[in-house]
Order: sequence, then C-alpha cells, then structure tokens
Amino acid sequence: MDDISSEDILLEEDESEMMHLTPAQLVDRMQETWINEIRAPEILPYKYEYVECLLEHINSMEENIETLQTASLVKVVHQLEIDRFRYIIASYLRTRLEKIELHVFHILKEEDTRIEKNELPYLSDGELQFAQEYKNSIEQHFQSVLSFWPGMPPDDWKNNPVVPNLDSFVFLKSKENVEGVIIDDSDENDIVDLKEGSQVILSYSKIADLLKNDKVSLL
Amino acid sequence: MLGEKAYSLVKELEDRQCEILPYNTDLVTEIATEIVHLYDQNHQDVRLEDSRTPGTSTNLMPTVRMRHAAIQRNQRCLLAYHYNRLRLLRQMRWEFGSILPTELKENLSAAENGWFNKYSTILGKYMRSIGENGGLNLAVDLKPPKALFIEVRCLVDYGKLELNDGTNVLLKKNSQHFLPRSECEELIRRGILQHIAN
Repeated sequence: MDDISSEDILLEEDESEMMHLTPAQLVDRMQETWINEIRAPEILPYKYEYVECLLEHINSMEENIETLQTASLVKVVHQLEIDRFRYIIASYLRTRLEKIELHVFHILKEEDTRIEKNELPYLSDGELQFAQEYKNSIEQHFQSVLSFWPGMPPDDWKNNPVVPNLDSFVFLKSKENVEGVIIDDSDENDIVDLKEGSQVILSYSKIADLLKNDKVSLL
Repeated sequence: MLGEKAYSLVKELEDRQCEILPYNTDLVTEIATEIVHLYDQNHQDVRLEDSRTPGTSTNLMPTVRMRHAAIQRNQRCLLAYHYNRLRLLRQMRWEFGSILPTELKENLSAAENGWFNKYSTILGKYMRSIGENGGLNLAVDLKPPKALFIEVRCLVDYGKLELNDGTNVLLKKNSQHFLPRSECEELIRRGILQHIAN
C-alpha cells in the first residue's frame, strides 16, 4: 500500500508543476513524451496532463488568431505552429493506438494486473475502451471464422498473444546521473553508470523503469 | 497432402501485400471441410482405441496425433489469413476513411464488412473522446507539416471546394492551386489532388 501513496504524491507534484509550465516547456515535454512513445517497444503510461494542456493551448491560440487579419504574416506563422502541435499530439496518440492494436491481448492483461495491484493504469479511459472493443471485435471475427468447427470451437490461439520485444535495443539519453544500471541479469557486477547528458545504446528491458520514472529519454 | 490448401491460402497473402484480394470463400470452405473430416476420423479412431483391450497389436495413436497436428496447422493458417486481412482492412480505414471504395468492398466477406464497420465505429468513438471539446481527428495530419500552403495539381474534374474561410475554389482537371495543406490532405489521399513537390 505504501507504493500507492507515494505514487499519489508524485502525481500531485506533477499537477502542481503543470501550473508553472510555460507553453514552451509544455511543448518540450510533449515532444519528449512523443519520441519516447515512438521509440519504446511497449506502451508507456499515458501522459494525460500534457495532451490535455496542449490541446487547451491550441484552442486558445486558435481563438487568438481568429482576431487577426487573414493576410497577416503573424497569423500564418501561428497557424503553422498550431498545425505542428496538432501533428505531435495526433502522432503520439496514433502510435499508441497502433501498439494497442498490435498487442491488444497482452496490453489488456497487463492493465488488469496493474488494476489488481492498485497501480496507476497506462491507458487512458478512451484507449481502454477502444482496446476492449477492439479485442472483442477480433475475437468475434475469429469465432465466426471457426464456426464450422465440430463441437466447441477452439480458443487455444489466445494462449500465444503477440507480445512486444522488450529486449530490443534503444538509443537513450540520460537526464541525470544514474548509477548501477544492471546490463546482464546473470552477472551483477556487469553494471554501467549513466552520466547526465550521456547517450548510450541499451536493451530496453534494462532501462524501462528509468524511462517511466523520467530519468532517461529515448532518442 | 494434408495442410496443402491451408498453405496456399496463406501464400495468397504474400502475393500482393498492400492490396486486398477477393475473399477466397472456396478455399476457406475446403479447409473447413478438411478439418471436419480429420476431426471425425480422429473421433472414430479414439473411440476404437478406447474400446480395445490394452496390449493388442495395432496402435492408432500416432495417426491420431498426426491428424491433430494437421488440424492445428490448418486452424493456424486460417486464422493467420483472416487476421492479416483485418490488418489490411484497418490500414484501409486510415487511408480511405469510414467509407470504402466499392471495388474494394466487393473483395470482402460479409463478416469482414461487418468488422470494418465495427472498427470504424470504435475508432470514431475513441477520436471523439480525446480532449474536452469534441475530440481530435487522428486520420488527418499524417505527415509532419512543413508549410501551411502547398501546391497541388487537380487530377480530375472535382467541382467547387469551399475552404474554411469561405472562399470557393473551382477544381478543374489539370488546374494548379495553392491551398492550405490541412484542407487538401484528404483529397490528395483520395487521388483527386496531387501534391507537387518542388
């Protein structure tokens, strides 16, 4: 139970931090989140705050440029900026959807374990609903394909879901000094220290926790 | 030979990866028949085996196992065929939107058509749930925006296009225009406009 309360506090800190973020910092964070999501083999926790804030920011920018003259250069520049922000968000959410579709059985199972352990979910409400309905639609389709089966149609195909390859290698940049990252599970002496700003290639599974705790970012 | 039909079914996927071929009803039915046939034979043999007193000479178990492996393989091929077609359909949903061109629609089975509509619905529902004011269309902005306006050539006689700011543009065949990217992206994907890169 201790875990939850510390998680909760972390979240609250995040939220209060959000108040102080300038739009430029917000965009930087969103960009980092987006690149992490593209590069990571598995789905990462959904960054609800960034997406919502940036969408809000886009809306207010759109309202502001409404008041400008059509031909003004300022308007063109701002419009392009809005388009870029929107692209980042759309691409971020699309990447997540693709992962959800590809690994739907695995992701939903993981999500269930997280709920059981009272951990924070990785998917947003909308994504969770999408995932469940997508899974149902696939199951239904397969059942209709196998409906000719004498007796009960088999469902042993569910036993081997497609899972992300967590051992794939990723390029990463350390955001702060991290000591003692274990590279080889069988050999505890085989460790590496990451200096702030250093760039390395490592197996994703070894740094997944560091990534989720915002200690490193992917490139 | 056992499993041969299933093999050719999966092979069909490979032939043309980006285009959806007509649903192969005949082959799917034949594979289904093969499975049912093997299943029945196994059923009989197992019953025979059970009624036999232990220690008698003929043993049917290897045959039964062999047939079972063939059934498993056929099933796997069937599902692979159908799953990969769904992935293609999903690709098409992103490319063409929720309404498919009729010539592609004819290539789908009834169940696939149903799945496509269901996928469209849940995707639409998800996109509407993003953010607080009415959602975000993820099917646009597929490429990073470089410039606000792009030069396009019109490939067909399309007629009038009304832009967001209210101006009308007449899209005639072979005419060239300088238009906001966000508004012609869909038309480019539908093959009505062509982006002229300089």
